[in-house]
Amino acid sequence: MNDLSQTRLWLMRGAFLLLALLILLFHLLPLETTPRRWAGPDLLLAFAAAWCLRRPEYVPAVALALAFLLADLLLQRPPGLWALLALVGCENLKSRGRSLRDAGFGAEWITVSVVIIVIMLLNRILLAMTLVEVPGLTLSLSELAMTLLIYPLIVGVTHWLMGVRKTAPGDLDALGQRV
Amino acid sequence: MARDRPSSNDYTGPLRRLLLAVLILILGAVFLVWRIDSPRVERFRAQITDSLIPNLDWAMAPVTGTVNLLRDYQSYQRLAEQNQELRSELRQMQAWKEAALQLEQENARLLDLNKVRLDPRLTFITGVVLADSGSPFRQSVLLNVGARDGLVDGWATMDGIGLVGRISGVARNTARVILLTDASSRIPAVIQPAGQRAIVAGDNTAAPPIDFLESPDLVRAGDRVISSGDGGVFPAGLLIGQVSEDPGGRLRVRLAADYERLEFLRVLRHHGNERVTDSAKVVAPDTEAASEAAEAAPPAESNP
Repeated sequence: MNDLSQTRLWLMRGAFLLLALLILLFHLLPLETTPRRWAGPDLLLAFAAAWCLRRPEYVPAVALALAFLLADLLLQRPPGLWALLALVGCENLKSRGRSLRDAGFGAEWITVSVVIIVIMLLNRILLAMTLVEVPGLTLSLSELAMTLLIYPLIVGVTHWLMGVRKTAPGDLDALGQRV
Repeated sequence: MARDRPSSNDYTGPLRRLLLAVLILILGAVFLVWRIDSPRVERFRAQITDSLIPNLDWAMAPVTGTVNLLRDYQSYQRLAEQNQELRSELRQMQAWKEAALQLEQENARLLDLNKVRLDPRLTFITGVVLADSGSPFRQSVLLNVGARDGLVDGWATMDGIGLVGRISGVARNTARVILLTDASSRIPAVIQPAGQRAIVAGDNTAAPPIDFLESPDLVRAGDRVISSGDGGVFPAGLLIGQVSEDPGGRLRVRLAADYERLEFLRVLRHHGNERVTDSAKVVAPDTEAASEAAEAAPPAESNP
């Protein structure tokens, strides 16, 4: 049992990185070369938040930092800043995971929304403070709105399709112990 | 077993927190280094992209192909009416072709009479678009040609018709093209036939606005915008597009290049414009005589 859960743990850690890479690849497909008026959701952040609240042991801080930094580098963002904020946000979610486990989905959605809004706000403020060009407001707002709206769907995919579920009483944790 | 958890938490907790602190420091340092020494980090970014994207082309190409196929399928449904449109367009084009051929012959004759030699060093490399910028905040594409093919930062990139952008960021196998629509793109241009100089400044919209125009009254919608070659980075005379006026009365460029489908792009090799630096020597045959003349000149002017 112990062996099996260890394998599963590392498989799921690998799966998260693979998921991040897949999302980035779909972003990079050369399909959209004309400027758009709206921006799609930040799937990577939404998935990371959903996984952090369900199984924090599947998304260690190193994997999160790696995925976000790679996204920064590949998507032409100022490298490091978004990754830093997203990492802190996700770690913050992890620490709240225990208290949110028994609350309903509404509470989780609100918490995640607040965290993502704070991340985006801090990102803009810090970019402005370091005199870096701040991305357009309509684009940022549409990205934020899309991310928050699509979060329930992402949670559904995480729960039903990927099998990343909240630990229930009686489940075994990563080390094969009862929660 | 239940008692094991808190103790193991106590043990891993501080370690985890330390690791998190280290990660935060590293990420913060990356951002600060980028802010201070951006070219170096951008080169690093180009290398990462260079090592990742061409290797993943086998995965990306089929998906891109499938999506494009689905999009094309929608246009197949309107095949009949499109056929009709194309036929009428073709008839117009044939008239134009006739005119073009006559003009070409005339042009060749005139060039021959003048013994004009067009710039023989303006050759190009064609590259395939591997990836786009991946985010709606940036407008750029990644080409599959790079330093290996002799590409240099700043070279102009065109599709068959018009200017598309400028090379910015060259790695070994790939190069990034900042499109004219990107918010950081600034291209010196001249508007014909008025001959007005201006800057085509991208702002993340499909039609970039025209900045620093001296007298906007001389420019009308429909005028041609071509690159001016000011600053010596770009070759002069590349077609950018046509002037159009947006509802707010601001002049914008309707780009000639087809931004809907950027697949193959030409990178123009450009070795810099020739500069005339020794302006005084051209006139005077002897430098000493010239300097003496220059010294003697002011008194002569003051005593007419």
